[in-house]
Amino acid sequence: MVWVNSIPKPPNLAEIGFYIFVKGLPRTLILTVLGLLGGFVIGLSLAIMRVYGGKELNWLASGYEKLFRGIPILVLIFVFAIYLTNLYEICIGDTCFGIEPQYRPLFGVFLALALRSGAYQSQIFRGALLSVNPGQEEAARALGMSRFQALRTILLPQALRLAVPSWSNEYAVVIKDSSFALTVGIVEMTNAALQISSNFVELWAVSIGVVAILYFLLTYPITRLFGERQTKKLKELGMGGG
Amino acid sequence: MGKPVLRIVDVWKSYGELEVLKGVSFELMEQEVKVIFGPSGSGKSTLLRCINMLDPPDQGEVYLSEQNLMEPGINLNIMRANIGMVFQHFNLFAHLRAINNVSIGLRRVKGVSKEEARSKALKALNQVKMAEWADHYPAQLSGGQQQRIGIARALVMEPDVILFDEPTSALDPELIGEVLQVMLELAKTGTTMIVVTHEMGFAGAVASEMLFLGNGVIIERGTPQHFFASPKSDRVKTFLKQLDILYGSHKGLLKLSKEEEDK
Amino acid sequence: MMFQALPQEIQDLLAVLEYWDEILEGFIMMIWLYVWALMIGFFLGLFLAILRQYGGAIISRIATGYIEIVRGTPLLAQILLLYFLPYSLNIPIERWAFYTNFRISDREMTFILLNPEILVGILALGLNSAAYQAEYLRGAITSVGTEQLVAAQSLGMSRRVGIVHIVLPQALRRVIPAWSNEAAYLPKYTIVVWYIGVPELFGKAHYLVFKEFIPEATFIIIAIIFLVLISTVSKVLDVIHKRTAIPGL
Repeated sequence: MVWVNSIPKPPNLAEIGFYIFVKGLPRTLILTVLGLLGGFVIGLSLAIMRVYGGKELNWLASGYEKLFRGIPILVLIFVFAIYLTNLYEICIGDTCFGIEPQYRPLFGVFLALALRSGAYQSQIFRGALLSVNPGQEEAARALGMSRFQALRTILLPQALRLAVPSWSNEYAVVIKDSSFALTVGIVEMTNAALQISSNFVELWAVSIGVVAILYFLLTYPITRLFGERQTKKLKELGMGGG
Repeated sequence: MGKPVLRIVDVWKSYGELEVLKGVSFELMEQEVKVIFGPSGSGKSTLLRCINMLDPPDQGEVYLSEQNLMEPGINLNIMRANIGMVFQHFNLFAHLRAINNVSIGLRRVKGVSKEEARSKALKALNQVKMAEWADHYPAQLSGGQQQRIGIARALVMEPDVILFDEPTSALDPELIGEVLQVMLELAKTGTTMIVVTHEMGFAGAVASEMLFLGNGVIIERGTPQHFFASPKSDRVKTFLKQLDILYGSHKGLLKLSKEEEDK
Repeated sequence: MMFQALPQEIQDLLAVLEYWDEILEGFIMMIWLYVWALMIGFFLGLFLAILRQYGGAIISRIATGYIEIVRGTPLLAQILLLYFLPYSLNIPIERWAFYTNFRISDREMTFILLNPEILVGILALGLNSAAYQAEYLRGAITSVGTEQLVAAQSLGMSRRVGIVHIVLPQALRRVIPAWSNEAAYLPKYTIVVWYIGVPELFGKAHYLVFKEFIPEATFIIIAIIFLVLISTVSKVLDVIHKRTAIPGL
């Protein structure tokens, strides 16, 4: 056998970091961005349902929140990326269309991340909508705007700004949760870290340490920039807390 | 009058670039009531916080009963127990009932037993006419009631002097009277006090001396009569005129204070 | 069989529930990890919050650094790091375990209290939760406001006495709503111990899927258990919050 030849020399720190970046970063970023965007659409819709919808819509939205906040992301990933993957193809007669089989796990993880994040983002946007000063809506209505106009032109622009600090936290949550994608064989950063050191016991902790640092570099500057700076800026503008 | 309780010598204080106090000195005798007034930002509150070392001065000396508080190594906690403070925003301990707000200093600082602290606290509450509210939490009380408890909290420690930092300026007009009433009674029973306030009626009635603070220095000092009848500096005149516009003429107050004195 | 009249879905659920002893073992393990993690997280978190808020420039920085690094990295990476560390440092790992046996009706059950993996799991979850709880606690301390401490000091209390008797009693009441979130959702995260081989609820679910291959029914049951647990914890904490509220505030 050729296994003697296949024992490579242990990678150094730079190689570990490089491998994680090249092999793992694309999937991590794709999952994070798509998960956040999907969650944004779901979350904003749910939040509007909760704040402005009637009793039934409110009940429906808060039920969704409870469900997807309560189930661990790992369970969601298993369900959507392994057990329900045959649902990602719809066949009418002989013609089938849907997600190519090799992308189904990735799509499943994306769904899991988006559905979960939607439940959390709903809470974020709901809080933001409620913390827009109530006088703003009154003033908009007094100008003759309809409720929908007031929501679209006055309340949402303010609420979205107010939501930025919490939303940057949600970004950190999603990027961290995307590490669970390794469970279904997706090579994102954590999986890449495990791969590159898999033959070298002494490097296991090192490569996990390196990937942890990379996650930190991807989250901390952003949460800090959008968290504290934005909070300060909002305070200067006198927005929220009304 | 007796010996000086408090002696402030050339106190300076700045926050970064901003010089708030630029050499303030005065003495406070036992049973004396000193009123400090002046425009906002003139350093009145800072001066009080320098006196009890919550915000120690950069320079200068503060003597409490001839003990220098600026001396290194001195136990400021013990010294502070002898200087009462009443705050503009009351600062009552939100998680404690009125009675416990008053007794906690005795219990935690002076180590007084629970029963004794309770009976002393009740007495102090009685003094500010709040005994029947003893079991209420601060948030259940009006601003005036909260401030009276704040006064009782300071009073119960039997301090050498009580500092009042604009005690009525956060109150609605109809609640100011009940607090001033309590303060007047304290003054008349010989409590040593420094009061930062713009209530000229109160000042006229009980102040032994008034200090006008502006830009971090004492611009003018004198009795209430002096200030109401013939203030020297233009800044004081302008300021008193502004108070006039806000609160009505001080001439009437002067008359009141004279009548008080005649009694 | 007597179940044959029932629809397939119900039969599947019942087939999974046949293994209630396995599910119960996994559930107890999850609760066991949860309670430890929550406690370690609370006390360490309180300590960190006080250091960050009241420590000097250096101590406060160190506490902040810990909090930010833990919050900025995935729990999965943290638990793997702790788990791999002895291997990478070439520290020999001895196999040891404390366990207890018990019996419910006809099922014999074994519950492992502690072994190297569980220890790593508890440590990782506790150290992680501490960082999050520290931030909630610090937020509560900040919201009490500095003036309360100033008032305490004006009565002659030392900083320490003021923090312990005036600030913390208020902060601990104020923190409950935010803290409830962490407390209610922590059970969800105990699931990561599955990666290092702790037989927790999720691991048991896999075992059942492997044995019976009824994944839908298995995961529905697991999800229901989580939902019930989390909403129960939320409800209990809500009651505590109302009971400890300061009247009028």
